[in-house]
Parts: sequence; structure tokens; C-alpha cells
Amino acid sequence: MADRLAMYIDTSKCMACRGCQVACKQWNDLPAYQTEQTGTYENPPALDHYTFTRIRFAEYDDPDRFQWLFLKEGCMHCGQAACVDVCPTAALKYGPNGIITFERDLCNGCGYCSQFCPFGVPHLSVPSPLRGTGSLTGLEGQIELAQYGALDGLTGDVKSSKCTFCQDRTVNGLKPACVKTCPAGALDWGNRDEMVAKAKARVDVLKTQRNFPQAQVYGDTQLGGLGRIYVLKAPPEAYGLQADPKYPAMSTLWQKILQPVGQVAFGATIVGAIAAFFVARRNVHMEEVE
Amino acid sequence: MSVRLRGTDSAIQIRWIPKYTTLERFLHWVHTATFIPLALTGFILFAPFLQPVAQGEAGTQIRLIHRIAAILFGGVPIIYAILQPRRMLINLREFLSFTKYDVLWVKNAVPYYVLGRHHDMPPQPRFNTGERMTALVMILGTATFGITGLSMWFLKSIMPTVLYQLMVLVHDLMFIITFAMFLIHFYLAVIHPMMWQSLVSMRYGVVSESYAREHHAMWYYGEKRAKEMWERRHSES
Repeated sequence: MADRLAMYIDTSKCMACRGCQVACKQWNDLPAYQTEQTGTYENPPALDHYTFTRIRFAEYDDPDRFQWLFLKEGCMHCGQAACVDVCPTAALKYGPNGIITFERDLCNGCGYCSQFCPFGVPHLSVPSPLRGTGSLTGLEGQIELAQYGALDGLTGDVKSSKCTFCQDRTVNGLKPACVKTCPAGALDWGNRDEMVAKAKARVDVLKTQRNFPQAQVYGDTQLGGLGRIYVLKAPPEAYGLQADPKYPAMSTLWQKILQPVGQVAFGATIVGAIAAFFVARRNVHMEEVE
Repeated sequence: MSVRLRGTDSAIQIRWIPKYTTLERFLHWVHTATFIPLALTGFILFAPFLQPVAQGEAGTQIRLIHRIAAILFGGVPIIYAILQPRRMLINLREFLSFTKYDVLWVKNAVPYYVLGRHHDMPPQPRFNTGERMTALVMILGTATFGITGLSMWFLKSIMPTVLYQLMVLVHDLMFIITFAMFLIHFYLAVIHPMMWQSLVSMRYGVVSESYAREHHAMWYYGEKRAKEMWERRHSES
């Protein structure tokens, strides 16, 4: 897709101010909640239904020096997205410019997306970590909580959610909220090919001038090309990323083989029974039947 | 029971033989009344043209119906095991016993059910080969649906995603098998012109003597005599 858009994320410039997290919550009307200090500056503890992006902190003891790595997490907007393939409601779709869009009203809360995403990004509203660790704050939080009852985990009356690259902004030619707010110049937004070229140029600089021999681009080739193009200072594993994320084989097996087999089996059985009925009606002589 | 033929002085005598207990019939219909909504709500995932029903609020309600029906569906064998454990064991033992006559049954089933050729049909016990296969598929299906369904429902946030994906796959595979089996079962029991008595038996719990003789000779005559009769008939023809 020539007009595919992507987010450029330069981890060598990120200072983990987490302005992107705040801007994301503000633009998407996502409530915040109380968390507990567990010995890390990471906050909240993980991506969840109300947290579309978050800075992951990692410590990397490379042979030359110790590195403190910051990784902006969120939906990768894969070129080959398992979540879209398994979504039975088309709430998740390949949107314009390669963005994986999410339409909340269509979601029925089945949660397949959360279980088939190779990066574990989409999250259901309940059960969510915040039920155990704290409570939602602010007006949005109260509204959000009021929507969900105590039995929702049992009845399945929940919704999924994830980063949509601020689809309401980007389709109108604006940058995602996080990119607009980043004060360190670590984030950029634009044509995917340009973002990949920019990332490669930056990696060259890191390798040759900044003494990061392990610097590399991540996201340019994985899973049909990701919508997030990372500049990494260290191997992906050091950031907690999978070096070679795989499209789930179970999704292929389910969507491409099992479902068509089921459709053929049901169709053949029904057509066969109807045909057999008409043949049997002609051939079966009831006077011979006891 | 004697039935007077309308407009004549003749009467025919029908002897009814009990086949199912009241509880068995009741549970069979509970099973039916829960399997159909389960199957239809699950079938939506196989039919792209039904996608609007899966979306948003409608989809959430459909999933709720699926869950309520699933609990009742799973309750059927448990209630049966508690109230009539001996009957259940007897039936289970019968479901699991297959002989060479079952091979012959499978071989002759299509000419029999489609073309009405009943001469080569081997004698059958209280449940014929098809009934036993349906029962076993349903038993296996209920157990599989229970394990995979409850896991997907309650262990989603705990179990490894690969295991969850496997559960989805097995649940779907079992649905394809059981739903296809159900369609055949429904056709033979309700629609097929020859099998009208199977519906009677599931409603009133009895089959007529003549039906038992024709379709379940090993049950009516006893295994030894039925086999002898069949061997004799077979060697003559």
C-alpha cells in the first residue's frame, strides 16, 4: 500500500516523560486510575482497556555499558493483522492508509482479538487489572464504571479497545495526539516508506556516530510490515519485543480451513438430506414398512 | 391397545413396548431445546451474511443466550447421572458395543434409507448403529464443549493464549461434527417417511411391537434368535 501511514518511534530520543500517555488519555477520553508503586517508574503496570499506549521500561546490560531502554507500546497496526481476521463483527478493520480501525459500537466483547494478537494488545473492559489494583477516577471514570455491572465478566457484556492511531484525527489529516505532544522529537507521523527511510537513516547515525553498534529498525518487515516503525538502540529482545513475531497459525487454521470446511459440511448435509428425502419418498413403499 | 378402524367392524391390536423412561424423554427434549439455540447462535460465526446479528448489542445478547443455553445443556447429563445412574450406565454400555452387524448396517444404510431396500439390513439391538453413533458423538461433544467452553468463558485472562486459541479451534471443530450429526438425526427422526415411530417413542416412550421387530430385532427376539433368523434369511436369499 503506497499511501500507507505509519508512526515513527525513536527510542534513542525518548526520555520517558510519558506525555504521549497523557495526550492519548485526554484525546480518547480514557479515564485514569490509582495504581501502586511496585519498584518501577512504569505506570500503569500494563496496557489495558483504558490505556492505549504506555512507555515500557527495560534494563539492558550490553557488553559496553548499561542501558535504560524506553519503548512506546501500543497497537502495532500489523500489515497482516490476526485481530481483523478473527473479529466476527468487523469492529476491527483494515482502515484507510493501513490503520487497523476499531468501531466500538460493533464490538460484542467476544475477546478473540485479545487472544489472537501476537503482541497481546487489545484488552476487554472486564476483567481488567484496575478492578484489583485501584479504582477509576474523575468524571469519565465514573461514567465508564457505571456502564459495567458486577456480573459483566459472567455475562460477557464487555467491549474491546486498542490504539487506533487516533483514527478520528488522522483521517482528517492531523497527527495522532501522542505524536503531536511529544516534546523530545521521538515520534513522527507520515507516509510509511518515508518513516522507514527516516528510521534507517537514524540507525546509521546511531551506529556510526553515537556508538550504538546494535541499533536497528524494527517493524519494517515484521507481520506484513508494522504501522509502528521503531528505531531501537539494542536488540528487540532487550526491549521485551519479539524479534520475529509470528502470525498465529491457529488463526489461519480456524479462519482459512475450519470455517470453510464447516460451511461446506453444513451445506452438503442440508442439500443431501433434502435430496435424500425426495428420492426416499419415491422409493419407500410405506405398505411394506412395519 | 386395540384400535377400531373407522367405518368397519374390524379392530387391530397394537402392543406397545416401553423404550425410554419419562426422565429420559424429558431430558432429551431439554437437550434439544438447548442444543438448537446453542447451534444457531454458534452458526452465526460460520455465516458471513448473519454478521449483523453478531455485532454490538445484538451480539452481546446472542452471546448471553449461548451461555445460558450452555449451562442448561451441560446440566442434562448431570441430572441424568444423579437421578437414573443405572439406566445411564446400561445405555452407555449399549452405546459402546459394536459388532460385525454394525459394519453391515453402515454398508446397507444408504440403500435402506434412500431407496427403501430393507432386505439386507442386519438385526439391531435397542439402539441401531446410527443411533449409537449419534449418541457417542453427542456425549463426546458435550464433554468437549464443556471443557473448551468453560475454559474460554472463565479462564480467558489466565490461560496461555495458544491454549485459548486451541480451545476455540476444538470448540468449532466439535460444533461442525455435532451440528452435521444433528441435521442427519433430525432428518431421520422427524422428516424421513419410514421413521415416524422414533418421534412417537421420544414423545410417549414406547414403540409398537411390529416396529421393534422390524428395526430392533436383537432387542425384540433376543440376540441369539435374531442372529439365527438373519443368518437363515441371508443364506436362503
